[in-house]
Amino acid sequence: MPDRAGAFRGDRPGDEGLVFPDIGPEERRPSIGPAVPRGSLGLGLSFRTRLMMGLIAAAISPLAVFGAVVFLLGRAVDDATVGRILLLVLVFAAMIAVLLAYLLAADLTAPLRAIAAAVERTSAGDLSTPIVVPGEDELARLAESHNRLASDLERRNRELGRILVALESGSPRDSPEFIAGRAAGDARTAFGLIDAEVRLVDPATVPAEERIPGESLPVRAVLRVGTDRLGVIVGHLPATRQWDRADQDLLELYASEIAVAIRNAQLFAQVESQNAQLVELDAAKDDFLRGVSHNLQTPLTSIRATADQLGRDRDDHRFGIIVEQTDRLSRMVRQLLTVTRLESGALRPRSEVVALAHPVRRAWEALAADGVTFAIDDQSAGWLAVADVDQLDQVLWALLDNAVKYGEGSAIDVEIAPETGPGPSRLRLTIADHGRGVTEADRGRLFRRFERGSDRTADDGSGLGLYVSRELCLAMGGDLVLEPTAADRGAAFSIYLPGEPPADADLGSTTVDQQT
Amino acid sequence: MLSGGPGGREAPPRILIVDDDPNLLVLLADQLRADGFDIQTARDGDEALRRLRTGWPDLLVIDMMMPRMDGLSLAREIKGRADLPIIVLSAIDAGDSKADLLEEVAEDYVTKPYHYPELRARINRVLRRLGDKVPRQSLVLGPDLTLDLHRREATVRGETVQLTPTESRLLYALAANLGQTVTTETLLARGWAETEDADPSYVWVTMRRLRQKVELDANRPVHLQTVRGIGYRLIGLQGASLVGPEPARRSDA
Repeated sequence: MPDRAGAFRGDRPGDEGLVFPDIGPEERRPSIGPAVPRGSLGLGLSFRTRLMMGLIAAAISPLAVFGAVVFLLGRAVDDATVGRILLLVLVFAAMIAVLLAYLLAADLTAPLRAIAAAVERTSAGDLSTPIVVPGEDELARLAESHNRLASDLERRNRELGRILVALESGSPRDSPEFIAGRAAGDARTAFGLIDAEVRLVDPATVPAEERIPGESLPVRAVLRVGTDRLGVIVGHLPATRQWDRADQDLLELYASEIAVAIRNAQLFAQVESQNAQLVELDAAKDDFLRGVSHNLQTPLTSIRATADQLGRDRDDHRFGIIVEQTDRLSRMVRQLLTVTRLESGALRPRSEVVALAHPVRRAWEALAADGVTFAIDDQSAGWLAVADVDQLDQVLWALLDNAVKYGEGSAIDVEIAPETGPGPSRLRLTIADHGRGVTEADRGRLFRRFERGSDRTADDGSGLGLYVSRELCLAMGGDLVLEPTAADRGAAFSIYLPGEPPADADLGSTTVDQQT
Repeated sequence: MLSGGPGGREAPPRILIVDDDPNLLVLLADQLRADGFDIQTARDGDEALRRLRTGWPDLLVIDMMMPRMDGLSLAREIKGRADLPIIVLSAIDAGDSKADLLEEVAEDYVTKPYHYPELRARINRVLRRLGDKVPRQSLVLGPDLTLDLHRREATVRGETVQLTPTESRLLYALAANLGQTVTTETLLARGWAETEDADPSYVWVTMRRLRQKVELDANRPVHLQTVRGIGYRLIGLQGASLVGPEPARRSDA
C-alpha cells in the first residue's frame, strides 16, 4: 500500500512543496500510528460476527463440555463419582466461559479504548497521529472517519496558517498587481489548488465555471471591500478533493483580506503620486522663479555695470541715477521672489552676527535720499544682532524707503538699543520719520500683503515691503512692529532681532599665552 | 594701486569668466583687467572646458544660468578634474534652496546684480584662501568633535550641528593652521572680506557662538582656544586626523 502517511504528519503552515493528499475514504490507509491491539479472536472477522461468536462460544462451550462429560460418565462410573465429576466439570466449564468472556471483552474493547484515546488527543489539538485499525470492520471504519475528520481539521488549520502568513508579508508599497499575483500564488499553496488567479476586474465579467464531474473543481471568491468589488479570485481543485462550505468561507475570508490589502495599496499609490506631483510642482515653481529672476537680473546687471563704468570715466551724476534705479528695480524683483519663497517655506535665513549700525548706514547710502536728514543713535554698546545680513538688508532698505516716501522729506531717526528684560536678549532698531504717521484705521492692516496707507497716494512700491519685512524678521527669530503713535514723531517701526552681548578678545576662561 | 587688487611682484592671477551674456562678459573682463587680473572669457561650459585643456586659471567666475550646461554642472565638472577655486555668479540669493548646493560645489557665490567692489573682495578672499590646505574630508579633532567644513557641519558628541557660512570660513582658516595661532585680523579678513565695516567684535562674538556650538563646555573650551591679545587657535586632541574617502593604508610588509 502506498505510504501517504507523510501528508498527515504535522507539517507546519508555510512548509512549501507539500502535496495535499487525496482524501477519498477508500484510498486512505495510514500505516503508522499507534496500532490498536487486536483481540485474539479477531481473525479478520467483522465486529458483529466476533461479538456473536464470542457470546455463543461463551454460552455453548461449558454446556458442550458438560454434556460430553455426562455422556462419557453415564456409562462408566457410579452415581457418587458422577456427582463429583460433574461438579468438577461444571467448575471447569465455568472457568472456560469466564476466560472466553474475558478474551472477547478484551478483543472488543481494546480498539474502542484506542479510539477513545485518539479522540481525546484530537480534541486536545493533536491532529497528526492517525489511529490504525487493520481490516474492514466497523471499528476500522470508525477509526478511519476519525482520521479523516482530524486530517480535514489539520488541513484547514494549515490553510489558515498560510493565509495569515501570506497576509502578514504584504507592504502598502507593493503595487496592486504585485499583491494580486502574490495572493494567487499564496491561495494556490494554501488551498491546494491546481491553479489560481486574481483578476482585478469587475467580477461580473468573469463568468463562473460549471462543475463537470470527474474534472477539476472550479472555485471562486469575490474580492470585496465594503460594497466595492475589486476583483475575483478563481482557481481549480483536483477532482478528488472535497470542497465544502467551510472551505468556501475560508476562501472568501481570504479574498476579502486581499481586497483590503489591494485597496490600501491603491490609496497609498495615490497619495504617493500626489506627493510626487506636489514636489515636482514645487521644483518647477522654484525653477521658474529662478529663471524669472535670472532673466530680469541679468540685463539689470549689465545696465548697472555699464553705468558704473561710464560713471567712473565721466563725472556725470546721471550715471549714478541709473545705478540707483537699477538697484531699486532689482530689489523689487528680489522682494517678489522673497514673498514666494516665504510662502512656500523655502526661505532659510542664516544666523550671522552683525553690528546693526553698519547695514543701516549701507542701506541708507544705497537709498541715496538726498536732502533728507538722517541720524543714527547707536546705543548698542557692542551688542551684535544675529541675523541673515542679506535678508536684513532687504528689511532695512524697505523700511528706510518707506520712511523717506511717507515721511515726506522729514528727518529720519534711527535708534539701536539692546533690550535685556526677562527672556532672551534682543536688539531693537527703531526707524522713525516725522511725517503724519499711521492712522488708526491703517494700523491693523499695514502688514498685510498688497496694502498701502489709505490716505497715501503711493505712486510706486509693490505694497509688499512691510509684509515681506515682517515675515523676514519673524523668520530670523525676531519681529517687526509699528510703535504706538507719539506726538514728537510720525510713523515708527521697530525691528527686533536676537542679540549677542558684547565680547572682548580675552573672553573665555581657557586663555593661553602667546606662543611663537 | 587699487585697493584689494593683486600684488605686483608675482604674475597676476588668471581668472576665467564663463557667462552667456556677452555684454556682461566684456564689462566684467574690463573691470577685472583694470584691477590687474589676467582675464580669459568663455561663452559657455563647453568653451570653458576647452580652455581648461590648455591651462588652468587660478580662479573661475561662472554664471549660474547658462544654456546647455548650467553653472552648477560646469562647476561640478571642473571640480571633478581639478580643485580650482570657483565663484558662481547667480541671480539667486541666500534664501534660495539651491544656495546650499552652490556653496557645496563652489567656493563662493555672488548675487546678481553684483556690486563690483564686493565681487572683487570675494575674488581676492578666495585667492588668498588658496594657501589653506583644508581637504574636503572630515577633520576629527577629538572624540567629541568632528568638522565637515565642506558640508558646513560639525559633529559634536555624535550630534550634527549646522555651521553658518562665516563660522565655516573661520574654522577653515583655523583648521588650515591647526594648533597654530591665527590672528583676529586674519580671521576678520577671512570671515568678512566683503563687509568693509566689520570690526573685531564680529570675530569675538562669532567665536563665542562657535564655542557654544562645538565645545562641550563653552566656558572651558578644549578645541577653540583664545590666545590672549593675538587671536585664536584650533586644537586637535591626540589622535586627531583627517578621515577621507581614501583612508591611509597601513603597510603590513
